[in-house]
Amino acid sequence: MSNKSFLFADAPRTMLTGFYWAFVIYLLGPLLLMFAMSFKDATFIAFPISNWTLDWYAKVVQDQQFLSAFVYSLFIAFATTCFATIIGVWISMLISAEGIWGKALLFALACLPAVVPGMISAISLRIFVSVLDMQTGTAAIIMGHTVHAVPFVVIMVLTRLRTMPANLVDAARDLGADSFIAFCRVTLPFLGPALVGGMIFCALTSIDDFVRTFFLGGYRPTLPMLIFAKVQGGMSPEINAMATLVVIVTAAVGLYAERLTRRSRIS
Amino acid sequence: MNDRDNPARSGGPTGNAPRYSGWIGRLAGSSAYRFSIGMLAQSRAGRLAMLLAVPLLWIVVFHIGPIFQLARISFLQQFPIPAGSSGAYTWANYQIFFADSVYFVPFVRSLIFSACVTLAALVIVYPVAYYVAKVVDPRRRTKALLLLLVPFWAGELIRTFSVIMLLANRGAANVLMRELGLIDRPIPLLYNYFSLSFGVLYLIALFMLLPLYAAIEKIPSHLVDAAADLGAGPLTRFRRIILPLSKDGIVSGCSLVFLTCVGVFASPLLLGGPGTVIFPEIISAFFHGASDKWPVGAAFSMIMLVAALAIAGLFMRIVGGSRSTRFM
Repeated sequence: MSNKSFLFADAPRTMLTGFYWAFVIYLLGPLLLMFAMSFKDATFIAFPISNWTLDWYAKVVQDQQFLSAFVYSLFIAFATTCFATIIGVWISMLISAEGIWGKALLFALACLPAVVPGMISAISLRIFVSVLDMQTGTAAIIMGHTVHAVPFVVIMVLTRLRTMPANLVDAARDLGADSFIAFCRVTLPFLGPALVGGMIFCALTSIDDFVRTFFLGGYRPTLPMLIFAKVQGGMSPEINAMATLVVIVTAAVGLYAERLTRRSRIS
Repeated sequence: MNDRDNPARSGGPTGNAPRYSGWIGRLAGSSAYRFSIGMLAQSRAGRLAMLLAVPLLWIVVFHIGPIFQLARISFLQQFPIPAGSSGAYTWANYQIFFADSVYFVPFVRSLIFSACVTLAALVIVYPVAYYVAKVVDPRRRTKALLLLLVPFWAGELIRTFSVIMLLANRGAANVLMRELGLIDRPIPLLYNYFSLSFGVLYLIALFMLLPLYAAIEKIPSHLVDAAADLGAGPLTRFRRIILPLSKDGIVSGCSLVFLTCVGVFASPLLLGGPGTVIFPEIISAFFHGASDKWPVGAAFSMIMLVAALAIAGLFMRIVGGSRSTRFM
């Protein structure tokens, strides 16, 4: 059955195509403008651009503040991803196990942080941190980001596990593996690429996160905090170059993660 | 066949345990493993404990804990509780909300704003999702989808900043319109509801796109072909077949977008102006500086959370109807 006859004749079809491209322009336009602006040879941000330069990139690459924020963000993302993956996979194993009572409730509670609006989640975590007598700072940020990331790992792992034949683990156990060994040798390799893709998305959301970091952060700025401070304190074209570099890196990493999850979905 | 107590396993830690090659073999063969995880995995209770302990602890402490503390503190007279006194519980923090329209109006404004953005996102994104799921050549479908996904990896702040680039007085939109002779001097596009909704829509479109795409893609093409053969026009086919069958996607997309909108924080700070104060800004003001105003802020957050979840839940119940609608 061809898709051509699906809904519309040719005229609405062109309209839909046009609509799609208009939407692509809406999504990419502002980023491309930012990209263009990063090459502008002037100390203030305004169109049109008459002179072009690479100076801003040279500035950014030598900017200690930027590099330190970048490294700090990477560190937080790495720690978040490790914790979120371990806990997320563990929760998924519990939900997918046989003979566990109240699975729907467990799943709903595991996904709770994903449906609480970002601002309120950040505030509840801030209160939680001070109830625990913790300091705001690195540990608090990592905790906040991990709480936010776990539901996404759980959803992704459960989706992948649903396609796994149950008798694979049974076979391993019949051959004498205990449940932990069976998990390491059968379940984990099956999750494989999908899990890696999910981990990369965890890291990306951690690097992007602003509202939790804003409330839980200490004195050392993460990348979004630094950009926020620069946007608020007068616009320098340096932000454009900084943001462009970040976009290029995250887009490349995101595309790679997408390929990993997609390939595992087909197999 | 399913003999779960075969001799290899019930032989105990010192029995003839199976041998594996590689690192896992060394791990499984080591005495440290056999007397820790190995022992646990031998018994049914041990396996259950291993499965239950960490997930339950995590969910109770970190998923329920913060929300519970938020609720508890919203009833406290003072936070932190002064030494020597047991904290007294009170409704006063909630009464502040209803006493003054300074708080009530931004709250209602915030809900209406979120509802409008959700509706706009649905109307704008639906044709796009439909195009990618059904109209575009299947071989290019992944590419068409990826083109839409890439901007979303750029991050909340960077995208908000790029919207400022576009809409500022000397930004691209104003300069372009002036070049074309449409306007004489820049029109203020920034720091009002237009820029705020433009920016928020820009942030949340993905949460609408993915559920809609997943739902529309699942609709079997032959259903629509059959309707066409029976003489249904494009509008009838859309109304009677495609719309009802993509209902799950609409419900989860709208709920996700609405809940995200309610909690936006960076966009109102950077794109909104004095005329567009919405509730998250009010709440965050209570948490700047000293912690003596926290209980009021917590009470306001609770009101916001309950209202948002109730609206989303009601929406799911009314439109979704079936139990099959979930966030997955």
